[in-house]
Amino acid sequence: MPSENKTSLSPWLPAFLSLIIPGSGQIILSHKTRGFALFLAFFALLGLVLWTQAYALLAPLALLLIWIARDAYRLAKGSEPSWGVSLLLIGIVLYGTALIVTEVRPTRMITGLPNVTPYLRSLFNPELFETPMKEVVGVTPIMVPCVDPLPAPNREATTSPQLILSAPCTEVGDLLQVTGAGFEPNESGQMQWIDPLGSPRRATFDGEVVTFKADENGRFDVTLLVPQAVPLTAQPAPGETLTHAVRAVQNIPSGRLQPTQTLSLVIEKIGETIALAFLATVMGVIFAVPVSFLAARNLMSGNPVTMLIYNVVRAILNVIRSIETLLWAIIFAVWVGLGPFAGTLALWFHTVAALAKLYSEAIESIDSGPIEAVKATGASWPQMVIYAVFPQILPTFTSFTLYRFDINVRLSTVIGLVSDAGLGFLVVQWVRLNRFSAMATALIAIILVVAILDFLSSWLRERIIQGRPIISSTNPLVRTVLKTVIIVGFVATFIWSWNVAQIKLIELVKGAPQGLALAREFATPELFTRPTKTVAISAPLTVPCGAAEPSTPADATITLSADCGETGDPLVIEGTGLPPNRTVSVRWVLPDGGYLRVRSNCCDTDDDGNLRVETAINPIVVMEEGQTEPARVEITYEEIAGRIQLSETVRTVIRLSIVTLLMALVATTLGALFAIPLSFLAARNIMGDTPAGRTIYYGLRTFFNVARSIEPLILVLIAATWVGAGPFAGVLALALNNIPNLGKLFSDSIEEINSGPVEAVTSTGATRMQSLVYAVVPQLVPPFLAFIIYQWDINIRMSTVIGFVGGGGIGQQFRIWVSLNQYGAAGTAILAIVIMVWTMDYLSAKARERLI
Amino acid sequence: MLQIKNLTKIFPNGTVALNNVSFDVQDGEFLVIIGLSGSGKSTLLRCINRLIEPTSGAVLWNGQNITEAGSAELKQIRRQIGMIFQHFNLVKRSSVTTNVLTGRLGYVHPVWSLFGRFTADDRRRALAALDRVGIADKADSRADQLSGGQQQRVGIARALMQEPQLLLADEPVASLDPVLSHSILRYLELLNQQDSITVLCSLHFLDLVHRYATRVVGLKGGELVFDGLPSELTPEKFKEVYGEEAEMVSVAPPNAV
Repeated sequence: MPSENKTSLSPWLPAFLSLIIPGSGQIILSHKTRGFALFLAFFALLGLVLWTQAYALLAPLALLLIWIARDAYRLAKGSEPSWGVSLLLIGIVLYGTALIVTEVRPTRMITGLPNVTPYLRSLFNPELFETPMKEVVGVTPIMVPCVDPLPAPNREATTSPQLILSAPCTEVGDLLQVTGAGFEPNESGQMQWIDPLGSPRRATFDGEVVTFKADENGRFDVTLLVPQAVPLTAQPAPGETLTHAVRAVQNIPSGRLQPTQTLSLVIEKIGETIALAFLATVMGVIFAVPVSFLAARNLMSGNPVTMLIYNVVRAILNVIRSIETLLWAIIFAVWVGLGPFAGTLALWFHTVAALAKLYSEAIESIDSGPIEAVKATGASWPQMVIYAVFPQILPTFTSFTLYRFDINVRLSTVIGLVSDAGLGFLVVQWVRLNRFSAMATALIAIILVVAILDFLSSWLRERIIQGRPIISSTNPLVRTVLKTVIIVGFVATFIWSWNVAQIKLIELVKGAPQGLALAREFATPELFTRPTKTVAISAPLTVPCGAAEPSTPADATITLSADCGETGDPLVIEGTGLPPNRTVSVRWVLPDGGYLRVRSNCCDTDDDGNLRVETAINPIVVMEEGQTEPARVEITYEEIAGRIQLSETVRTVIRLSIVTLLMALVATTLGALFAIPLSFLAARNIMGDTPAGRTIYYGLRTFFNVARSIEPLILVLIAATWVGAGPFAGVLALALNNIPNLGKLFSDSIEEINSGPVEAVTSTGATRMQSLVYAVVPQLVPPFLAFIIYQWDINIRMSTVIGFVGGGGIGQQFRIWVSLNQYGAAGTAILAIVIMVWTMDYLSAKARERLI
Repeated sequence: MLQIKNLTKIFPNGTVALNNVSFDVQDGEFLVIIGLSGSGKSTLLRCINRLIEPTSGAVLWNGQNITEAGSAELKQIRRQIGMIFQHFNLVKRSSVTTNVLTGRLGYVHPVWSLFGRFTADDRRRALAALDRVGIADKADSRADQLSGGQQQRVGIARALMQEPQLLLADEPVASLDPVLSHSILRYLELLNQQDSITVLCSLHFLDLVHRYATRVVGLKGGELVFDGLPSELTPEKFKEVYGEEAEMVSVAPPNAV
């Protein structure tokens, strides 16, 4: 690529050009890609700086401009191109603006700590079991103050248990002796004072809360102070009295330990979570298999028609996949209504697309030899598929299916954030109610469900990949029994899931018109608008006549049959020279700005742009005392003003897309920065076999595995209470998910490095640090980059949905638009998401090719 | 002079890799170690520069006990002992020059070297070393773009950078074609004769042993079973080292290179 043309021009010329238009110098020196890249980078960064108004960042940007000019000069001199400093400058500006846009405020992590500590504490205190409590209550009324004669109290006393008071009436501030009988022996309890309205308060004596402990006969004696239970403003009239009461309560465990209501709910939702994932996977497979054959290039490349089908199917699959499951869940919720069914549909839909793509790639990578051989025997196409294709793809298919099942389990834990299915729903509800320990119970359930199902499916997957039979017994009877159990179990699980997920296919049909209308609205994104302005013409109308003199005369194009009159008088309003065949609005307008339409659904102009409305003078226009200006009759209509331009929706969507991208960028960077040092501590070969090393290794690995199983969407809920809703919460949640995720991938690749080079470098007498830098790091660069890019791809997708639960970005706006029924705008957001995901996928594929 | 005294290595899983091995190596020798895979050749070589810690016994080098050297002292000793490997052990994604420069790590500033800073003198030296093994033109290539024989020559150049007095070669030609084997061993012979570097080399093929060794030791099951001149390695002795079933095989003659 470097240009060999020895240009006779002075090297100052390209340098000067690049100073005026960044990159142009490089372009005339035939470094076209470099030139365009610099040009785009410079102006993109300039745009970001101006948008965020972080003018301090103009300084590094200016340095970048100088660097670009110097680069052009150096290239003209024939030096090798290098990036060095420019990357640093680009980094400063990019991250500088990104931190502003994503509202990263580390201080909020400290100030918000009190909000989030209850979550952490309650993680160790889930609501699992409880002993049911029985209340033993004794109540006796007492009159305050004492009067003569003392009226009968309007409350009943309990007889068993029973409270005996030292007096039937008393005064505020006096002491009262209470004797209890018939209480639960040897159990403690509390004394309460009940005011005349029935509200209890704790009884006190000497500033202490009065408690009691019944003796072995169930008796006790206490003294309490009569409180000022009635506000001074509501005191009884002299000679009258009010019924108060003394109450003694014992809370006694009764019966056996039993699961809390929280636990029962969580268990019910665990079932729902698994059912949703299972159903979506099974249904997904049923649909994905046939589709995958249509999307396999080697099977479809026969003729132009099949090739066309191939391309269409591929395109549809790509669109479906690039829209996150949660977005689909919202869309389906509009179609079939909220509930598990919408969630299942979304999961199922996404599963079909994802599996069909994976399957078709498996089909594309099969060995063509057996196909040729089977074809050579004169077999038909279906025969060929069954005998030559199926046997080759079965293990891969099963493995991909299990992998997708894992993903579906994770997704169904969060589908509840937008519907009412699965564990995620409980988490959201309990977060909103601040029921920390209940939420912790659900969170722990999520971790366990994900971990256990992960373990099961990886066990199955390993057996399948290694070609080992799933049933290891060779006894034919045992085999038959086990096979039957598996099949019956599978069918039973399917039927159970079908019921749990509340599949009502009829809803799909019933909702179809709505769904179609919705699809049409989604498919007509609001891209452009023409700005309009309201044109108003008006004429004064004085009621009654002579009450005032109008300060502004009537406009030329509006005529009233009379310029004054009485309420109810007939009035003809005529307009001329208006836009033809247009709906206009005709109304009474008061001087204070209030108005009333002359007629609802009024009125259309004729072919010549004339309008005639017959009406009667409305009482609203009658002049009131002190009013100096008469009311007016006004005709208004909208007129196009100015050129077509991007709609407000598009501008919002573009702005939020940039925010979303920058959120993913900051989160990925933070995740990687923290994961790298941790990953070395979680690598077996680095930590060695000392007790301390083993402890750190196992500790970190456990942390990675547990933290990874919590979806970022659930972390957003916690992050939003921690640092407040907004992009920072989203960034924080993504980073918290990325650290263990990348940490695990990184430490796995550290464990896999080739020990040969390390040995060789060590044998030269190098220090530990030196062998790390020269033998370990170079081996880690490619896998680390690959994983960071992979995480970036995931983060892009994730950051489109974390806004649903307070994480900022485009997802938040999408949800608002859907809830406001602005489906056109929501469609625009979807379009932007698809474009964004595709562009970033393409760029990261390119980056992967170049860097690794 | 290198003295191996009662060297024993027992791995944590109980495998006895070396059992009470003793022999001396005179300066300037080209000593070849023969034996089956698993007979302890690699372990022996690695116990000398303590890439593997011996269980007991001593390695004395010019009177200094390597087995008892502290970590700083060990680094000093290691930089005087070059090593080349069966699988070359190059950092595949780094350039040839960087790989060769790693041979200098025992000499350079321990902190500056972490940022890839080497003196101009070291760089010249690296180029000279590459020139000596005949691949100076590959200096800027990535290591994984080179053929096996070229990679092993990078390995030799890396060892040369250490200005070693002793060269340990662990099966240096086992991953190479017979023709390339001679090419590599000739470089080792050249270093042995011109630079008077003592060479300890483990080999598989008997005709290579006859061609290059000035002395041979044989290991079997971790024990020393032969110590003598190449000419004393008769077919009977060979069978003693390699077992009854072994057949002598030959590689291409040296003039085929």
